[in-house]
Amino acid sequence: MLDTVREIETPEGVSLRLRAAGALPRAQAWMVDLLLRLVVLFVAMIPLALFGKGGNGLAMLLMFALLWAYSVVCEVWLDGQTLGKRALGLRVVKADGTPVTWLPSVVRNLLRVVDALPGVYGVGLASTLIDPHARRLGDIVAGTMVIHAQEPPAGQQVPALPALPLPQVLAADEQAALVEYAERAGQLTVQRQEELANLLTPLTGQRDTAAIRQLVAHANWLLGRA
Amino acid sequence: MELERISVVLRPRAPREALDLGAALLRANATAVWSAWFAFTLPVFVLCNALGLLLGWPWLGWVLVWWLKPLFDRLPLYVLSRAVFDRAPGWRETLRGQRRWSWRSTLAGLSWRRIDSNRALRLPLELLEGASRQQRAARWKVLRRRITGETSLLTYGCLQFELVLFLSFWLFALLLIPHEWRPESLAGFFRDDVRVAATPWILAGATVAYLAMSAIEPLYVACGFALYLNRRTQLEAWDIDLAFRRLRARLQGLGKLLGVLLLCAGALPLSARAATATVDTPKPATSNLDQVFGAPAGVGPRFAEAAAEVYRDPRFGGERTVRRWTFKYEPQPSARAQPLAFPLLARVLAAVFKGLLWLGLLGAVGALAWFAWRWRGRRRPAADETAPLPLHDMSNGEAPSPLPADLAGATRALWQARQQRAALALLYRGSVERTAQLLQLPPAVGATEADWLRQAAAINDAERAQRVVAIVRAWQFAAYAGRYPDDAAIERLLSGWPAQTGVSA
Repeated sequence: MLDTVREIETPEGVSLRLRAAGALPRAQAWMVDLLLRLVVLFVAMIPLALFGKGGNGLAMLLMFALLWAYSVVCEVWLDGQTLGKRALGLRVVKADGTPVTWLPSVVRNLLRVVDALPGVYGVGLASTLIDPHARRLGDIVAGTMVIHAQEPPAGQQVPALPALPLPQVLAADEQAALVEYAERAGQLTVQRQEELANLLTPLTGQRDTAAIRQLVAHANWLLGRA
Repeated sequence: MELERISVVLRPRAPREALDLGAALLRANATAVWSAWFAFTLPVFVLCNALGLLLGWPWLGWVLVWWLKPLFDRLPLYVLSRAVFDRAPGWRETLRGQRRWSWRSTLAGLSWRRIDSNRALRLPLELLEGASRQQRAARWKVLRRRITGETSLLTYGCLQFELVLFLSFWLFALLLIPHEWRPESLAGFFRDDVRVAATPWILAGATVAYLAMSAIEPLYVACGFALYLNRRTQLEAWDIDLAFRRLRARLQGLGKLLGVLLLCAGALPLSARAATATVDTPKPATSNLDQVFGAPAGVGPRFAEAAAEVYRDPRFGGERTVRRWTFKYEPQPSARAQPLAFPLLARVLAAVFKGLLWLGLLGAVGALAWFAWRWRGRRRPAADETAPLPLHDMSNGEAPSPLPADLAGATRALWQARQQRAALALLYRGSVERTAQLLQLPPAVGATEADWLRQAAAINDAERAQRVVAIVRAWQFAAYAGRYPDDAAIERLLSGWPAQTGVSA
């Protein structure tokens, strides 16, 4: 089965799912960062231009900092998110899912020199399109990856109904599907709700509206409500 | 459409994440997509450019190939839609399959809808669903509702990517050609070289643009298709549909194999606990302890029912594979157990060895008892030794005795009697006591050598202080390192104040 998730199992048996972010969102995050930095640079250069050569030097220093230090500082101190990544809901983490630290961050940002070849990020683009976790060369060397940090869309609260025990024992993923159904039923049309509920007639012994109600009642029971 | 055969993981994704699913989809079916793509677009590209050359407008090929993008988009979409629900078709099959898809939407895309930022999302709706016009309009309204931002981002991003690849080629070429061949200035290059040989340069540009488009356009279509899949998953709960179908198959006892798969996947301590918890409705609290502990807990019909419920859990019972080593051939019983040659002798020998073993046991027990007795005997005086040592005892177990009046004489006597350690100990004890007297210090029981070295610094006579230091050092070397001074050094220590009180120095 095809997915963009990189699954990591910790020694405690907890499985972490890192949802790798691809070239398109990353490119947009980079664009946002670029625009922000340009704005800061130009705004700072207007007063600095009044100071002649000294001001020029300061502007150069600022440019250097924005070019090299900005990403590292943001990634280490702002939870692995530059401002552009924050806007797009992305985050840099190490390949094992832990927060990015100084060394990997410095390495991946230094290797931008390679990824930016030949000046328009051609190498980085090719790398992100080819790599299964959409890493550019800097990410591969530093052992980091960019993931989607936003929570996946969730359904609403399960409507409260008197809980009804399941007539049969279900496996965990089947139980999860039942609860998911109850959570997301509100987003579906009534016909589709009935269609789905009718699939489980062998379980509920009901059809249509009664089946929907019973499935929601089962979900209430699975959630431990009274 | 048979949803069971889908080959991507369906789950609610944010639209932006769905874009990445498109990239993964394309990566997984790259061969099929690009073989079909080039099989169709390469001839078209050649034809367009030939037409441009014939008409004398070399730029026409470039523009035409760009304009025909909506036509080319059909190929990746065909491959990907088949790959997701079935298997990736070959390029011949893909080209043949185009005939079955309607051309109306493609014509619209090539004419009045050519500049449409939602093309990637519109394609699957129009080509895969094939609904009537009114229905399509209504569906389009629903489908695009929450993802217009992402479709625009997709179009804009892919445009950017194409530009990046196009520029990358030229910039790399600029980086890699030798310095002598480089033009003096970019403006001059365009003014002179390009204008002189315009047609070859335009054809080269068209080729590079075509290659960049070939790399990115399938991605554009794939991402649009993934957006579409995600939106339909959201609207129609495809993932739940799939899960319910699997459950239904299991319940109906049809999907035995599926059951085994679920069995492997299902980890559900939760369900077992929840089930027993509700079967045993909470009883009123019993105050009588006998009742609580005496009653055979959980034996009864209700318990049996709960247990049966637990055993119905797919994790119990069923099939599972166990791997273990077994002998390839049955091991033969060893041929050792032969009848003995001399039974009488053997029996006598056995009796003798048995007796020896018993003797050995007796010996061991006796030795243990003897050791125990000896240990008891040893332990007694040792117990006395653990009594707290007198604090002033600096010689070997010698009771603290008042200092002899003639400290030097006593020390010298001990030294000459070869009791060097005792002599130095006496000298040390005497000298520190006299130092304390001299400095009028309170009797310091716990004072260490280091303390006395510090105190010696307080003596206002340098020679005396030096001698006290020398005595303490000599004692330290003797006590801790077993290094004793020679006779001359002892005599130097014994001359003068701490050892000889009568002498002034």
